[in-house]
Amino acid sequence: MSQPGSLPANVPRRLSRRPHLAAALLRWRNAFRLRRARTLGIGALCAALVAVVLAVPPTGAILQWFGASPIITFAVSACLFGLSAVRRQERMRSDAAISWLAALPVPSSSVLRLVLAAAIRLLAAIAAVGLAWIVGWLAAAAAVRLVYVVAAGALTGTLAGSPLSGGAATGSPGWHYASVRRARPHWATAPSLVPLSYWPVAQGRIFSRPRTSRVMLFALLAIPAGRRDPGEVAIAVAAGCLTVFTLLSLSTAAVRAAGDAARWLAPTTIRRRTFVAAFIWQVAVKQAAVLAVVILLSCAVDYPQALRVGSAIASAYLAISCAAIGVACVRACHRVGLGAAGRGT
Amino acid sequence: MRGVALQVRGLHAGYDKLVVLSGVDLEISRGEWLALLGPNASGKTTLLHCIAGMLIPSAGSISICGHSLRQEAMGAKRRLGFGCAPEGLPNLLTGRQCLEVHAAAKGLAAIDADVLALADEFAFTDMLDRFVGAYSLGTKQKLAVLLALLGEPALVVLDEAFNGLDPASALVLKKHLRARVSAGRCAVLLATHALDVVERYSDRAVLLLGGRIARQWSGAELAALRAMPGEGLEAALAAAAVGASGAA
Repeated sequence: MSQPGSLPANVPRRLSRRPHLAAALLRWRNAFRLRRARTLGIGALCAALVAVVLAVPPTGAILQWFGASPIITFAVSACLFGLSAVRRQERMRSDAAISWLAALPVPSSSVLRLVLAAAIRLLAAIAAVGLAWIVGWLAAAAAVRLVYVVAAGALTGTLAGSPLSGGAATGSPGWHYASVRRARPHWATAPSLVPLSYWPVAQGRIFSRPRTSRVMLFALLAIPAGRRDPGEVAIAVAAGCLTVFTLLSLSTAAVRAAGDAARWLAPTTIRRRTFVAAFIWQVAVKQAAVLAVVILLSCAVDYPQALRVGSAIASAYLAISCAAIGVACVRACHRVGLGAAGRGT
Repeated sequence: MRGVALQVRGLHAGYDKLVVLSGVDLEISRGEWLALLGPNASGKTTLLHCIAGMLIPSAGSISICGHSLRQEAMGAKRRLGFGCAPEGLPNLLTGRQCLEVHAAAKGLAAIDADVLALADEFAFTDMLDRFVGAYSLGTKQKLAVLLALLGEPALVVLDEAFNGLDPASALVLKKHLRARVSAGRCAVLLATHALDVVERYSDRAVLLLGGRIARQWSGAELAALRAMPGEGLEAALAAAAVGASGAA
């Protein structure tokens, strides 16, 4: 039995002086205990996805290319870890002022949290390289070299990214990234569902943090690529990263906001189909616009190929994204009883 | 005849294996203000969530203006105005957008004029184009109340609506709700710990303890308690809680 004023016996004693870390550990552990089956299921699904991605030949070709291009690999690793450090620091700063532990006279362990997060990501990267070696895409020597290069990039990126976002605690969870739409001086008296779709878009902007994305863009554009046309490779990598990041931010934001939106509107008479359509459409339009711009730019390089491949990829992504958001919306509606005409007898 | 705005019969509800409500019976007539009292974790919010259709009860029935929430959910919700908790409001929409969306979701052709007038009385107009996330607790409460009153609902359900409101705004809200109730435009179910609101403005009060209605006070009893110097409803509540725990 734990003594009064001490942490429970099954929390490492070293954490007793670091309540921020202890709280994070307990939060993860409780979440796992509460949803053990779901967490294990998601973990298994992720592992299966990684296995499938590693098993397809293009992955092998990409990894071999990275293995043969240590400078680019180093730069990409440094950029990604640097960006991650910047974003994590920003999040810690915004949380610092509103944290329930803010008033405690203890250090926030921000450096340790930053290092731990980077270490976990690095371990995941090393595990992926190890799997690629096991599958046979990489020779042992190439795998070891890749690990060294990625680790060096991670160290450099984390060190470089850490001081970039210094400053005082903000207490703002990133609302400044989302802009107020249609501010008007007089009362609106016309009801409209259009603003509902601004919610996931604003959340997406907060997730993607445009300021740090710009940091990544400039960093990636500075990569000294070693192929025939270094500029093209660098721009392609930067644009690809930013595009994927923007698209995923919007999709993730919509999936995550769907539950809150459904809960908020549950006591109203809105129909499920209307809710889903109103919630999704701006996200879909934004994503379609981003993909259209990328395809248009790619067409300048290789017109027929870019249009054919780009259209197929864009359509597939849009379909998957809308389906995922739609499923999240319908599940949320079902959970809170939104749009239910009646529930049995 | 005033008509029944809300009828709850034999309601049982909870979360997974946790039983929160066990056999709640409640009835509110149109033109009546009922205060729902009870200590923390007694099941007040759970009861309100059941009435709003956000939580499916394990047993029992709820009907709003004669429409069963189970069989005619749309008909029931059409007559319901639910004031959600401030943390349930969308942080990334502005106050104006919340009003627009909620009114559209309720199928209204326009935002009610007296809701706009109440917003002006609340001095809420300046906050219209700011994100809800940037609002104070009291400002969020004002928005939650305005959303609940959209569409002239026959039953207004509010959860701790006076929590965080400044005294002037609280007085505006009390008078507004009282005027609506007295005119027979709606019934109000208010879960609250604000005993002055219960004593001065409510027509009836019920005490929820351990998931059951443990005690009821009629209008005459509330008036008598109001006249008692010093103690009043506070002492009556404490006595009822002690009595209920003794009986258990």
